[in-house]
Amino acid sequence: MSKAELLKSLEHAIVMGHLDAEDEGFDGTMEGTPGTVELVEEALEEGVEPQKILEVFGKAMERVGDLFESGEYFLPDMLASAECVGEAMDIIEPKLEAGRSSEKGKFLIATVEGDLHDIGKNIVATMLKGAGYQVQDLGIDVPADDILKSIEEFKPDFVGLSALLTTTMIEMEKVVKQIREKGYSDIKVLIGGAPTSEEFAEKIGADEYCRDVMDALNKLEEMKAAS
Amino acid sequence: MIISDKQQLKMLSPAEFQLLHEGTCRLLSQVGVKVTHEGIAEMLMSRGAQRKGERILIPQSMVENILEKTAKSIKFDAPDPAYGFTVNAAENQVKFGTGGQALYVVDRTSSEWVRRPAGTDDLKQILALCDQLKQVDFVTRPVECDVPEDQMDVEKARIFREYCSKPMNLANLIKLNRLDEVLEIIGDPAHVSFIVCLISSPLVMDSSAGDKLIAIVEKDLPVAISSCTQGGSTAPFSEVGELLQLNAELLFGYVLANAVRPGAQVLYRGIPITSNLYSDGSPRWCQPESIRRVALAAQLCRFYNLPCCGTAGVSDEAEPSSQAISEKVFSWTYEIASGAHYINSALGMLEQVMSVSYYQYVIDDIALGIVKKKFEENPSEDISKIAVSAAVEALSYFGVSIDEKVEAELAARIQHIENPLEPYSEEYIDEQLSVIEKAVTRSKSSTVFMTTARKGLREGYLYRGNRIDAPLNLSQVAEKLKAIAAP
Ligand code: B12
Repeated sequence: MSKAELLKSLEHAIVMGHLDAEDEGFDGTMEGTPGTVELVEEALEEGVEPQKILEVFGKAMERVGDLFESGEYFLPDMLASAECVGEAMDIIEPKLEAGRSSEKGKFLIATVEGDLHDIGKNIVATMLKGAGYQVQDLGIDVPADDILKSIEEFKPDFVGLSALLTTTMIEMEKVVKQIREKGYSDIKVLIGGAPTSEEFAEKIGADEYCRDVMDALNKLEEMKAAS
Repeated sequence: MIISDKQQLKMLSPAEFQLLHEGTCRLLSQVGVKVTHEGIAEMLMSRGAQRKGERILIPQSMVENILEKTAKSIKFDAPDPAYGFTVNAAENQVKFGTGGQALYVVDRTSSEWVRRPAGTDDLKQILALCDQLKQVDFVTRPVECDVPEDQMDVEKARIFREYCSKPMNLANLIKLNRLDEVLEIIGDPAHVSFIVCLISSPLVMDSSAGDKLIAIVEKDLPVAISSCTQGGSTAPFSEVGELLQLNAELLFGYVLANAVRPGAQVLYRGIPITSNLYSDGSPRWCQPESIRRVALAAQLCRFYNLPCCGTAGVSDEAEPSSQAISEKVFSWTYEIASGAHYINSALGMLEQVMSVSYYQYVIDDIALGIVKKKFEENPSEDISKIAVSAAVEALSYFGVSIDEKVEAELAARIQHIENPLEPYSEEYIDEQLSVIEKAVTRSKSSTVFMTTARKGLREGYLYRGNRIDAPLNLSQVAEKLKAIAAP
């Protein structure tokens, strides 16, 4: 395969949400054929510049976005493609010049202490990775102290907090307070989950409340434009 | 209410239920449940379980032994003794209750429905209302109080004590160390039961829920062990795969409860619903495929001859509407026919358990009454006919005129509820077991089943029909609400 063909196949694999040779892909028929992971590795071996590969990710995800908007693609299709980009990023990240990979920014995400709900948080984390953010997902039931420790190490531009219980949304207030007390004034805090709201975000000093993942992506773009 | 043997629905043959049981036992003995609670892991191992890394494996003989020992009859007393009842596993008696912990209340203004956060005052009002509604046999805590977390259990108990004379289900205990105080406030522990959601799907035990289950069982209180899998997200998108995983999660709970106290008073509460992969991944509680799956879980429970805590009538609609009534009527009908004994969340609930509405309690009281009447009128009628005629009567009652479009939509939903899309064969069960094993052992994410759901989505696992959209005439509901004085 020529380099150009290789990149075309890679784009196709991402659009089809074909992660690796073990994965069945979009329609359950792609098992055994090279997926995103194999194609990215091959491209690197063939000497394709990482930057060129990054461009393919953007193009593929744009196509996926169009397919979603036209109603041809559904949530799992979009997530599968985003997962491909996330995995591929992990492979090429070490090969990129310092600072290049997180052009969109670094995003730290967690479900707060006492709360085990993570379906929504996982969707948000996967989609953000697909959109080019460098995402660190701390998982569920994460104490404020652990979030603060990770902020210190990962140095995120954004912190996303999720809570689905009225009893745990209070935890968010604690985390925001600690972030501000530590002087991280330029970290933007986004919150989400069924019991939260715009008023609640305002009350606890979070920067944005996000109704769903699309809302989050839009608000991130707006914040970027504003800065 | 009591249904006739003829009305009891069995969508699978005894041999197919047996295959599901054996598949579940393979899952428990080969993949097991992740347990990070050392005390519980050790207790289970001392009773015959094995350990494989972080997972606890339960042998088939241990499961079957416990299914024999666990309580087959559970008594629910009430402050007003007339409301007390007993659930006997082998009987076709059905009781209905409200459901749990909604975040919002949907109120009616002169022109629209408005959603607002629920609070302590709502808990009082709803309990007072439900005390007077005829179809409410027991009361599961409908909303939370707006008090700090560590006071929640106690405050809730006080309000129940004051406003509820029916059997009380306090649902989840928030602080374990408040249990004694809660029981003291209620006065008689025989009036209360709980719900514990022990497993975070797929197949991971929640340590804190484990401690709560142990405390409740040690006091010999009735408890519904609950699993709410989301097919296509936290469980396989396949109905067969989802039932296998759900059943394994629940039987693990039985094993733990009966290890603590042989003969524990446990109810089987399986809610295998689907995830809305057409939109945002939110749960689909009352769509035809979920009605079918939840019905199958109740039937599986009855196959085991266990007390069954059903879930029915949780509409996916955000507001009282004709669509919501149509969803609820089908959901109740199939859950009743499937042999559930103690149906939770049956009244008042909207928006995928996120909201309740005072209006909806009264609407449901009327509509559920119609469903019950249909069962009683014709003890040998087909369930699909009962479902359709009850839906037609309930919708008509609220002023909806039934045209061909509505009839066709109801018929299409029945088709989706009654007809299997997958085989219940040994090979297919094995295929699903390996999907689950691969997912739980290789992935860290609970939403591991989402991307593998693409094929099933295109094969029509999620019902796609039309909404039933027609304005409701709620004048009688408004009058009834007014007549029931607020506390
Ligand atoms: C699935 C579910 C569970 C599953 C969770 C599985 C999992 N891995 O997450 C299980 C069964 C384990 C569970 C357990 C419990 N649950 Co629960 N659960 C739900 C349910 C039905 C759906 C939640 C969901 O996944 N929605 C779908 C996702 C896609 O939506 P989402 O989470 O809202 O996320 C979207 C947005 O909110 C936003 N978002 C969310 N987070 C974030 C974060 C950021 C940074 C951003 C930008 C955006 C964002 O974007 C997401 C994607 O679009 C809800 C009811 C409901 N309809 O919401 C109850 C619900 C949240 N649970 C509830 C309860 C009570 C419990 C239990 C206490 C039950 C019990 N008896 O033990 C336990 C608690 C366990 C614990 N300690 O956390 C209550 C909470 C009520 C309250 N007043 O607090 C609810 C409302 C149900 C009810 N009425 O009873 N639950």
